[in-house]
Amino acid sequence: MRIKSKLMGTMVVVLMMTTAAQARIKLVALPERAATVIRLDNPAATLIEEERVLTLQKGLNKVDFSWKSVSIDADSIRLTVLDHPDKVNLLNVSYPPNEAALVWEISSDGDYAETVRISYLLSYIDRLITYKAVADKAETKVDLKSYLILRNFSGEDFAKARVMLDYGDAFEQGIAHEETKQLLFLQAPEVPVKKVWKWDAATLPWDPEKLDNKNVGVPVSYRILNDVKSKLGKFALWGGKARLFQDDGHNSTIFLGEDNAALVPVGEKMELYIGDSRDIVVTQRKMTDAQINLRKNNASQVVLFDTDEIITAKIENFKDSPAVLTMIQHIPGQWDMEKCSLKYTRKDAGTLEFEIEMAPRTEKGPSAQELTMHYHRRNVRP
Amino acid sequence: MKTIQWILLIGCVTLPAFAKVDLVTLPRRDSVQLTIYNSADLTLVREVRNLTVKKEANFLQFAWENTLIDPTSLQMLPKASADKVQILDLQFPARVRNLGLWSIESALDGLVPVEITYLTSGLSWRAFYMGTLSPDETKLQLAGFVRVQNNSGEDYENAQTRLVVGQVHLLDQIAQLAQRQYPYGSPVPLPRKPSGGVQVLSESTTEERLGREMVRDEGTVRLLFDRAAERPKQIVKEGMSEYFLYTIEGTETIENTWAKQLPSFGAADIPVESLYKYDPSRWGTETIGFLRFANDKDHKLGQTPIPDGEFRIFRDTGDKGHLSFVGRTSVKYVPVNEKIELNLGPARYVKVEPKLMDQKTDNYRFNNKGDIAGWDDIQTWKVTVNNTREIPIRVEIYRQTKTPDWTIENSGDFGNYEKEDATMLKYVVTLEPRSKKEFQYVLTNYQGTRREDFKREQK
Repeated sequence: MRIKSKLMGTMVVVLMMTTAAQARIKLVALPERAATVIRLDNPAATLIEEERVLTLQKGLNKVDFSWKSVSIDADSIRLTVLDHPDKVNLLNVSYPPNEAALVWEISSDGDYAETVRISYLLSYIDRLITYKAVADKAETKVDLKSYLILRNFSGEDFAKARVMLDYGDAFEQGIAHEETKQLLFLQAPEVPVKKVWKWDAATLPWDPEKLDNKNVGVPVSYRILNDVKSKLGKFALWGGKARLFQDDGHNSTIFLGEDNAALVPVGEKMELYIGDSRDIVVTQRKMTDAQINLRKNNASQVVLFDTDEIITAKIENFKDSPAVLTMIQHIPGQWDMEKCSLKYTRKDAGTLEFEIEMAPRTEKGPSAQELTMHYHRRNVRP
Repeated sequence: MKTIQWILLIGCVTLPAFAKVDLVTLPRRDSVQLTIYNSADLTLVREVRNLTVKKEANFLQFAWENTLIDPTSLQMLPKASADKVQILDLQFPARVRNLGLWSIESALDGLVPVEITYLTSGLSWRAFYMGTLSPDETKLQLAGFVRVQNNSGEDYENAQTRLVVGQVHLLDQIAQLAQRQYPYGSPVPLPRKPSGGVQVLSESTTEERLGREMVRDEGTVRLLFDRAAERPKQIVKEGMSEYFLYTIEGTETIENTWAKQLPSFGAADIPVESLYKYDPSRWGTETIGFLRFANDKDHKLGQTPIPDGEFRIFRDTGDKGHLSFVGRTSVKYVPVNEKIELNLGPARYVKVEPKLMDQKTDNYRFNNKGDIAGWDDIQTWKVTVNNTREIPIRVEIYRQTKTPDWTIENSGDFGNYEKEDATMLKYVVTLEPRSKKEFQYVLTNYQGTRREDFKREQK
């Protein structure tokens, strides 16, 4: 430990018994830090565990632990006796005023060189996860790599520490203050991937022609399952920035896009939005919007009605490859479908999902599908 | 300018002391490839360099002062002997900016080609087009160009240059990532800004720097064609995922702050149609002129999508090749087989004039209290379309209704008529040169309880 300049976690065993009136005298032994573990399993806080050998004498010992220029959660500091847990007891902890320090009072029934483990939460040392995926030309599988980014801005240098995540083996790594290290920790070749195009009537413009020279991009995502079939599934994939590339067939790649992956538990799917397709065009229009079955009060005011609505959507694929478009439509409240030209699944009360298979474009033009939804909203109040 | 530097350090053991280790070799850049995007300030750079490594520990220092490289994108892969050369980690040492240190474990002594990839900002490209109409405005000669601009801070010599068309999703701007003090940021919260006083910036922002470079760059557009070559370079075009990739033949040298223009395609005798649109909901009372064709084989195009860019349209006056400027417009990305409508702005010589000739209400319905519960709004409109040009034209006239429940009666030269949506109609009229057409329509909008009657009548 390069303590002198960094001034972190200084620990002193105080042999002299002090009285309340005396200034605390901190001298005698400066125990060296032995094994150090940096635990990064909790994304909210980093736990440091360090082992030190204390020279204890029979009777009462005072051990002073102080720190400077680092941010330690004082309430998180724990001392564990490792060699003689039955014979060495922590009696109490005192906190000197206006100091980042504490004093342990330890009783020992003999003279021991006692190994203790001190653990505490240290701020500003953390980890990030990033992903890099390279898709094949057909976009059916990706070579997935994940990197651990170790950032140390804690104020303390760690010359050698065992770094532990919540899975996988611990590894040894040194990291100085203000240093960032990028380490490869997951490599999964040929992970199956599904490409998904999604058009949502609630978020995307209906009529691209009315948008004066702006393309409507249909969001495109890659879907990866965190399971054994996908050569993953051993542990939850942590959230982080994912960058996707594609093999261009010329020994090179192009960059497809990037997205933030959320935490993906085993068995769940990771969906990465890479960019927008301008080769799938949806033009949706409401062709009929009428009130029917009006019910009135005695004053002839309409108090309840149904609607008669027809929505048409033209879906065109200008790509030279097939695509499956997921189209989301929304009908609020109580409703029934009179006629619908394409099959849909009702995802919830007001959401309809269509899986529309699109052929590639031909010489004659784009391949096209037409959706006509004729439905009635029921018991609408004005 | 050469701002990216590589230093291979061999046998250095204590990392914080790496600066004391002797410099062993400075590997050259053997080849470089640029993949430049136009929808975002983003370029993927791929370099191949030959490293001379020794057995066991090697450290490779990569420095990029004064460039716009995103350090989080840096990646190195051995191109040969991958089983013998292992990249252990990439370290961004403390208190040193724009420098990365790769730890390499090698089982061999000798030359290892490695590929380094990274994302940079500051390189950009855009497409633009020049069209020349025949004197009768039925044919268009079209030429497309691309212009590549380098403001990245780095000279790229003999780079294979590829241009990507497509909308890429980015979480962070590469230029911002390039400017971070720490590549992955710091978990330490930023100190509060002082409440007063002048803040002195030690470094200029990218925008300021680029701004200065752009000023320096004025008037430096050069090299329309490669001077050494006898013909303009070919551009190979291919689809890739949701993108289109243009690969420029051979290599290009694009020095920092310089730009380069290359022809991308050309087509002659594209049949075009002069189209005019009148839609008060979009353009008020003006008639807008369009030039319509399609990105397909019938129009001698259709091999690739057309990237978004500005079109400048000229007309051959028929007088010794003299040209007249018709207009300029931005055009969105056009997929293969999609139609293109070039908006040429308000038309001076084509007029559409709708006039309300008569309005009345009728068929009143009353409720139990004697209040009005429903009625019909009846409007008579006369639309005059006047083509004072010497070419035949097509005019689309959009008309809005008041409610979704309406009926219409047309008379005169109303051409084709279709329902666009519940409250919009479109009339399509074709006119001969210097001709006028007139049509009339009576629109009945059903209001209140008359809407129910209308529904019943429809059934």
